[in-house]
Amino acid sequence: MSYQFDWSVLFSGQSGSWLLQGLITTLQISALAWLLALVLGIFAGSFRTLPIGPLRWAASCYVEFFRNVPLLVWMFFWYFGVPPLLPQAVQDWLFDHGAEFWAGMFALGVYHGARFSEVIRAGIQSIPSTQFEAAVSTGLTIAQTYRLIIIPIALRLIIPPATNESLNLLKNSSVALTIGVAELTFQTRQIETYTARAIEALTAGTLIYLLLCLCIAALVSRLERRFAIPGMIVQMRAE
Amino acid sequence: MKQVLRVLLITVLLVGINESARAQTTLEKIERTGTIVIGTRTGSPPFAYVNKNNDWVGFSIDLVEKAIVPVLAKKIGKSIKVEKKESAPQTRIPLLTSNAVDLIAETMTDTQARRESVDFSITYFVTGAQFLVKKGSPINGIKAAAGKRIAAQQGSTNARIIRERVPSARLVEFPDQPAAFQALVQGQVQAYTNDGIQLAGLKAKAPKPDEWVVVGEFYSYEPYGMAMRKNESDFRHLVNVGLMDAIESGRYFEIYEKWFGKKGEVPYPLSAETKRFLQMQVVPK
Repeated sequence: MSYQFDWSVLFSGQSGSWLLQGLITTLQISALAWLLALVLGIFAGSFRTLPIGPLRWAASCYVEFFRNVPLLVWMFFWYFGVPPLLPQAVQDWLFDHGAEFWAGMFALGVYHGARFSEVIRAGIQSIPSTQFEAAVSTGLTIAQTYRLIIIPIALRLIIPPATNESLNLLKNSSVALTIGVAELTFQTRQIETYTARAIEALTAGTLIYLLLCLCIAALVSRLERRFAIPGMIVQMRAE
Repeated sequence: MKQVLRVLLITVLLVGINESARAQTTLEKIERTGTIVIGTRTGSPPFAYVNKNNDWVGFSIDLVEKAIVPVLAKKIGKSIKVEKKESAPQTRIPLLTSNAVDLIAETMTDTQARRESVDFSITYFVTGAQFLVKKGSPINGIKAAAGKRIAAQQGSTNARIIRERVPSARLVEFPDQPAAFQALVQGQVQAYTNDGIQLAGLKAKAPKPDEWVVVGEFYSYEPYGMAMRKNESDFRHLVNVGLMDAIESGRYFEIYEKWFGKKGEVPYPLSAETKRFLQMQVVPK
């Protein structure tokens, strides 16, 4: 017995438009979650390097709490745990306006924010302390030093690991199907429902994820070169 | 270039796996290993679930163990062990085609699309889609679902029908029963649609069964069958003989009573119509 492939199912019926819809939802949820994760990560990562006890403590709590609980649990938390805390009218409005999407977006963003934070912290800590001292000695406040000197340098340093994190975020968006978000993986299952062709549908999904990630990686490496500070970082010019 | 190579390599591996699995028929495999591997569920009471004593049991599993296995054992001439594996709606067909399991025994609806990939036994259970709602809900059938938030199971035929017949319903699809029920309890959705028998099972297991009602006429026809690899008529015949013998001898109805009778896990009386239908599937010896 061998499996008879029938790739035509991907091009017949509504399969194509489902995959496209799924792709758009995946991109939307990932992009929003990525922005949230980046903002949270920059703040939490910076706070963890500051000589200010309470801020450092708060940021550490956030990071350890959110990164050490599985993403799936966070999905259920934001979808089932948070709404009951809101007033009834807000709940009803949310449920009628895509609560699944927003719960999934927050779960993904807040979870990956905690992971981004560690990447950013590592970037900040790899900057020699003389940079910080030099900045402060020119009269900048700590906030200004972070905003104008430390974070711009750190963000350039962490591009490779942050790319890793971003690709993980994109792929982890598929976990949102557990709370009913109709993203890419969800749509591949939909195709399976209509055609009973699971392997073809999964392969199509896999190739789309692969292409998406390769495109993002290529884009980032261009950005990396574009924003590199000459003389600052050892750079191999292989290509 | 590297990426192209990678894709090629994966394809070659996949094809290779398929080739090596081609060698033997299901019956030969069962004879060699003395084991039949079934794909079933852990959370689909009373068809297949893990009970309070942590035993993996259910109506579908009983049918395999008490009706089908004896026939297979007699044919092969030695005793056969049943090994169970979890199979979800989106994994069950690949599990079969990859030879990981030999028979799907859970709550799989026999459909024409699925018959293009797998073969089915005779129908061993008949149900149809309905709605589970809170007592007093205005939703009383598929027409009333328009404009409402409706939960369905991902990969089910019901979700597909709702989407086609009531496009204005806001459909939220969950991969498993507990999440869908939780959403119904909390109000994320106003009704949960699934096969009537599954809803009856869910209601029976709910903390306060009286708060919930199963409503609406069957808006779909869901005949459950056991699925097997395609084009193995000798194996399929033995599975069918097992089921037919059980229906004819009355053993099927004993097993039915055990799970769906008054004292069963999910009381769901067998209608005279369904009983007649089951009996008419039995061909003479």
